[in-house]
Amino acid sequence: MVNAGARNKPFRIVIYTLLVALSILFVVPLYWLLTNSVQTVGSASTFWPTSFRLENYKYAVTLIDYWNFARNSIIITAISVLIPTLTSAFVGFGFARLRAPGKNVLFLLMLSTMMLPAIVTQIPTYVIFFKIGFINTFWPWFFWALGGSAFSIFLYRQFFATFPKDLEEAATIDGCSTYRIFWNIFLPISLPVIATVAILSFNGSWGNDYITPFMFLQNDKYPLATALFSIGYVFPGQKDITLTQVQSAGLILFVLPIIVVFFLGQRYLVEGVVSSAIKG
Amino acid sequence: MIRPAASGTAPALGAKPKRFRGKSFKEAMEFYVFISPWFVVFVLLGLIPLLYGLYLSFTNYAGFNMDRLKFVGFANYHKVFTDNDAMYSLGRTLLITGIMVPLSTILGFLLAVLLNQNIKNIGLYRTLFFIPSIIPVVAVGTMWRSLFVDDGVVNNALESLGLQPVDWLGYDYAMVPLLIMLLWGVGGGILIYLAGLKGVSKDLYEAAAIDGATALQRFVKITVPLVTPVLFFQFIMNIIGSLQIFVQPILLAANSNSLLSLPIRPNYVYSVHAFQQIFAYGRFGYGLALLWVLFIMILVLTVIVFSTSKLWVFYEVDQEGR
Repeated sequence: MVNAGARNKPFRIVIYTLLVALSILFVVPLYWLLTNSVQTVGSASTFWPTSFRLENYKYAVTLIDYWNFARNSIIITAISVLIPTLTSAFVGFGFARLRAPGKNVLFLLMLSTMMLPAIVTQIPTYVIFFKIGFINTFWPWFFWALGGSAFSIFLYRQFFATFPKDLEEAATIDGCSTYRIFWNIFLPISLPVIATVAILSFNGSWGNDYITPFMFLQNDKYPLATALFSIGYVFPGQKDITLTQVQSAGLILFVLPIIVVFFLGQRYLVEGVVSSAIKG
Repeated sequence: MIRPAASGTAPALGAKPKRFRGKSFKEAMEFYVFISPWFVVFVLLGLIPLLYGLYLSFTNYAGFNMDRLKFVGFANYHKVFTDNDAMYSLGRTLLITGIMVPLSTILGFLLAVLLNQNIKNIGLYRTLFFIPSIIPVVAVGTMWRSLFVDDGVVNNALESLGLQPVDWLGYDYAMVPLLIMLLWGVGGGILIYLAGLKGVSKDLYEAAAIDGATALQRFVKITVPLVTPVLFFQFIMNIIGSLQIFVQPILLAANSNSLLSLPIRPNYVYSVHAFQQIFAYGRFGYGLALLWVLFIMILVLTVIVFSTSKLWVFYEVDQEGR
């Protein structure tokens, strides 16, 4: 199948047509967002740009407290990427390379947490954190981060499990502790997985962590993901008129870091997931 | 975070480690140390809130009455099944799940098959296919809503083709933009599918080709069976994700400006109903009961799908030798 009909011309034409048509489908909506972000405010939406107004971007960052929200995004994302990328590797190593009673049960338990709708725990967590005084602080993200994430742990575990046992046996004989083996031998060879986990955590945090800030923080501590949702771009003084062109510009600025990180890391991404060789 | 190794001993007793009681005990202890970050956080911020929430779902908790909570038995759960809005939203959610899960599982797989062809610049296409799934949902939703508004690009295109514009975000069609928007992100699964496809040994295809198998036969008899574990994994993840759909319908609402905006009725999904009960009406106990019903439904469906896996999921004999 991989090279099915590689020398078969009609087959190739079908493949190329499909690839190009689908690429257009996947990219055109984004192209339109970009077009709309430079259209005159209040103009009707068009497919081809009719004007080029970069000042929409200036409004996007001045009409709302954009840089404050961006700073909050950076804080939350830094916590939610740096810490769990490391702790997940640590936990994944345990599941992949060490034997202990109860390990399989614990691993299944860990995987099953992926099924749990986050909101089921978040609301009681809110009540608990309210009592401790964590509401409207970034501490919740720090403590969530410490535990790593189930999917990342799973990816690391699958990757670490692919190496032969000799790897640490030789090191053990040389008097290397398990912690050193993890740190000095396994971590340095797992760059593709580290990059994969970091990219996925970045997307999850910068782009899609909007409900927890909505619940746990007040307006001025919102990250962009929440702020762009709940603090719209409206005509000053007129709450009902949304400035969609300015909003598009704000969204483009918000999406940009995700695209940049993705392009920087994408060559690791496939490799990282493939080398983890996910199997049932 | 990594504590200094408490060893420096590691008795070197030859190449093959014999199963000394002390050694496996030490290994077990190390295992528990290694998984402790996850385990401690799981217990403190997962299990305890989960059970606490379960407890609260049996009370009349309304956000402010913590010091005089009343135990109400199964009243909240009884209400879930007698609340018309809850049942309506559940029906809509199941409908969306029923449409989305097969579509996104199969389309995601077919996209990955397409991307697994030996073709120039395949990396570029892979990137383009994958990009929609990395765009934050806030941007995705806002973008699709502006595409589907009355004087939006979609209607403009229809008019230029001489067709009638359609009230996409209105009552009759609201599910169409929602499904299109969800399907647009179908490329999110291709990484995992590609991983599965790349795991299929080339020797098998070559052997089959020598035996005269056509491309289609090779696909049906080799590719599909060997990636069923991946299809299975994605199928389950898609079910779990679809049942929890929450924010996309809100973003498509006519005047969506907060997480508490109401989607148009046909897109009024179960999670939105639960979220509304809690944050708009302060019915915490009831809202938690709604969420627990959802959680139990996800568990039951997952168990059912798992129990069918023997019938259609192909596992290689050697599962890491264990």
